[in-house]
Amino acid sequence: MSEILTINNLKVWFHTRRGTFKALNGVNLNLRKGEVLGLAGESGSGKSTLGLSIMALLPSNAIIVRGSKIILKNRDYLKYFELFPEEKIDRKFKIKKNQKIMKHIRDFLAKIRGKEVSMVFQEPMTALNPLLQIGYQITEALLAHSSINLAKRILSRINLTEDDVREILKIVKSSKNVEKDLNEFSKLKKLDGIEDQVLYILNRKDLSTIRKERMIYSLKEKMKNPLTMSYLKKIAENKSIGIYRFLNRIPILKRYLKGVLIKEGYRKAIELLAMLNIPHAEKVVYMYPHELSGGMRQRVSIAIALANNPDIIILDEPTSALDVIVQYQILQLISELKYKLNISFIFISHDLSVLAEVCDRIAIMYGGRIVEIGPIDKIFYESLHPYTKGLLRAIPKISKDIKTIESIPGTVPDMRNPPNGCMFHPRCPYVMDVCRNKVPKSIEYSKDHFVECFLYGE
Amino acid sequence: MANVIIAAYNLKKYFPVGGFLFSSKQTIKAVDDVSIKIKENEVVGLVGETGCGKTTLGKLLIRLIEPTAGEIFFDVPEEIIVEYEEALKNKDTKKIEKISKRYSFLNKKGGELRRMRRYMNIVFQDPYSSLNPRMLVKDIIAEPIISTGYASKKEAEELVFKLLEEVGLTPEFAFRYPHELSGGQRQRVALARGISTLPKFLVLDEPTSALDVSIQAQILNLINEIRKKYSITILFISHNISVVHYMSDRIAVMYAGKIVEEGYKNSIIFDPKHPYSKALISSIPRPEPMREKIIINLQGEIPNLINPPKGCRFHPRCPVAFEECGWTADEVFQDIEYIIMRRYAEQFNGIKRIYIEDDFTISVEYEGKNLIEEKLKEVLNKEKQELRSLISIKNIKSESTKIKIELYKFVEPEMYKSKDGINVRCLLYREKK
Ligand SMILES: Nc1ncnc2c1ncn2[C@@H]1O[C@H](COP(=O)(O)OP(=O)(O)OP(=O)(O)O)[C@@H](O)[C@H]1O
Ligand SMILES: Nc1ncnc2c1ncn2[C@@H]1O[C@H](COP(=O)(O)OP(=O)(O)OP(=O)(O)O)[C@@H](O)[C@H]1O
Ligand code: SF4
Ligand SMILES: [Mg+2]
Ligand SMILES: [Mg+2]
Repeated sequence: MSEILTINNLKVWFHTRRGTFKALNGVNLNLRKGEVLGLAGESGSGKSTLGLSIMALLPSNAIIVRGSKIILKNRDYLKYFELFPEEKIDRKFKIKKNQKIMKHIRDFLAKIRGKEVSMVFQEPMTALNPLLQIGYQITEALLAHSSINLAKRILSRINLTEDDVREILKIVKSSKNVEKDLNEFSKLKKLDGIEDQVLYILNRKDLSTIRKERMIYSLKEKMKNPLTMSYLKKIAENKSIGIYRFLNRIPILKRYLKGVLIKEGYRKAIELLAMLNIPHAEKVVYMYPHELSGGMRQRVSIAIALANNPDIIILDEPTSALDVIVQYQILQLISELKYKLNISFIFISHDLSVLAEVCDRIAIMYGGRIVEIGPIDKIFYESLHPYTKGLLRAIPKISKDIKTIESIPGTVPDMRNPPNGCMFHPRCPYVMDVCRNKVPKSIEYSKDHFVECFLYGE
Repeated sequence: MANVIIAAYNLKKYFPVGGFLFSSKQTIKAVDDVSIKIKENEVVGLVGETGCGKTTLGKLLIRLIEPTAGEIFFDVPEEIIVEYEEALKNKDTKKIEKISKRYSFLNKKGGELRRMRRYMNIVFQDPYSSLNPRMLVKDIIAEPIISTGYASKKEAEELVFKLLEEVGLTPEFAFRYPHELSGGQRQRVALARGISTLPKFLVLDEPTSALDVSIQAQILNLINEIRKKYSITILFISHNISVVHYMSDRIAVMYAGKIVEEGYKNSIIFDPKHPYSKALISSIPRPEPMREKIIINLQGEIPNLINPPKGCRFHPRCPVAFEECGWTADEVFQDIEYIIMRRYAEQFNGIKRIYIEDDFTISVEYEGKNLIEEKLKEVLNKEKQELRSLISIKNIKSESTKIKIELYKFVEPEMYKSKDGINVRCLLYREKK
């Protein structure tokens, strides 16, 4: 499998008045195309920071240390910036200058954010704008990268004939590869965008076949006025819209024309929300974040992340606010997207049971490093690192006579003065002298299974 | 006798929803007719569908929001509660009013209410939005202590450090802002705030979902310790059913604004009764990759709380629903219309019109030969497998130029007691007369 993202020796520190928090201390990681990589570990170990680094959305007090590499689709994007070397980050550290660098990095990646990589944030409430309708927030994401698709969708519904619908239903009923055939059909008939809408209906888990057929029948739409029609056509063809640029200067007209796309954005938003099993999605798009339950908000942020079909999606605790039934359906959706669209996922979660359901590989983080990474069965059944073993023992299991759950004694290291040697040594039941003095190197214990611990290797 | 900490009866919370452009009178029935009782020192777990009203119920119980209807008692002697329930059963309005007037938590106002507030608190689901970002940790924790008058400002200062220690944070954390904490650290701060006034009743809304399992274990054990030390009664809301099972004495399962099952935890987890609970418990993720899964996959739309399904709210998705579970002419009409007008249109060209006659009758007008009735019966019977609404058809008969499709009348399920003492809101557990 080819790698879509490689991270080398990533160090991210946070400068505060009370000292420098060394959140990431040399992370090495690779993400392959079409895989789900689970990321678990101590809270405070730097999982979110890792995600935010990939998205280039770190807060302005963050420092990316020189020597860190983030290579996204073969582009090393940090190489364009003059990062501070480790030894310069001290009392006399130039905060202002660093803030400038961080801002440049943020701006530099703004173009691809949402399109190539997107992220579902751990705190859905801060990711959503409390003042805007849910539908509008999803539409904004769509307008940023996918206006063409929105225009095509509208046109395809207008151009659809009764005969086309019958043909589509025939494909749906009898084709072996519905997706491929629908794609060909829409190309042939110049109905680009219709396949997307039909597939959405077909993929819904909550509808019976008959209801789905009924929805396909009602896709057909009436012609719009000539001005709108030609505007849509121009957008769909991605042509520079000469005369429309002029028209665009007339605010009312601009609003009117853009309104057509916004309306379509809402329509697509409803589809995305329904795909994520949100009830009465057609009402929810007009609601504001505070009117939704925790789980609904979380699904709204997933919808925004999915909006533009990115290559990589980073999910930070995406299902911890969901009931297990919806959770299971979202996990299924992730597997489907992985197979169908070859999307790669980084799935951050504390819940190892959830990771067990979807991941191909799992990385375990402790104190800003990846202490173990390997294929899922290896991590669950042949884990190596003492911290991983402790984590697995701490999962509450349902049994009739459970008295207490085991926890790992001790506390999270203070990341301003992280322990010498192995970060885990103060809490490790197997600690040896060498662990207190030297940082263990990563070794490949068995194929594709890496660990950083002196218990292994020679 | 022990006191009952929380006793709530027929609680409702309807949120108004605005439409686009025009405002409508629709409401989201987030909590609809819920009764719940929690005794002193008990831990009751609350699980259920995302968006089914758990947080809303938690907020109602401590009056962070006011109910649309219903009654709540807080920390009242058990004999009063017994008396009240008796009166409810006998519809003795005079007595109901008398008890309400004296004991109802909803009647408390002003200073009395503020003083009572120190005895209850909630730890919110989302520690990110619930901790004020502009306040230092020490002020966040001290806030309820001061606002309820539990202690003076100066004493509060000292208490804060004790509380931080209690939840396993070093004193240094007192001077941090929430954004400088990791998720787990924030959760500890939220917990410290929750217990800061030594409440009698604490609503814990997903208190550990932001924590890694090793710290989750620490916090759960910590909650247990604190709870025993200070006799705190708890409503424990979580999607993590293993955790709920570990923490609670009893478990209540909620679906679409109603409690559908409630009882002793092991009965609910190892032998769930309600079809929804069965599906829920079958979907619990387990730390065993590549295991054989037997998951009850639910079909059908997620309930719409604006227009909740009639009868049993679970009926459109229930794998074992039967004739009386809540089907109405509206639901059946949509399916029949589609079958006749679209899917089998070529066979039914004699049909002129289909319409809803009343809540339980659908009429089909036709012209021409009389064979239509037979054909209709055949088709509807065939499609029953997929369109579950069709099982509610009682009979189909011709009347001159129309066919009348008659439906079974539905029954609103109540709480029934199963053999092992569980309360179940499902018609399958109705006592046979
Ligand atoms: N803006 C910031 N300023 C200072 N320190 C920060 C900042 N953001 C994060 N940190 C610190 O960096 C470390 C890593 O935080 P991060 O949020 O990445 O952890 P996490 O692994 O996602 O934890 P959790 O599982 O609890 O969400 C923590 O010790 C945290 O306190
Ligand atoms: N202030 C509000 N205005 C309008 N609707 C609301 C409001 N608060 C909650 N709701 C609605 O009430 C319903 C129940 O919400 P609630 O937050 O109680 O669910 P929950 O069971 O806690 O869900 P979750 O498990 O996702 O946290 C949802 O449909 C939600 O949209
Ligand atoms: S009453 Fe019971 S059987 Fe009927 S729909 Fe509801 S849960 Fe299913
Ligand atoms: Mg995090
Ligand atoms: Mg909630």
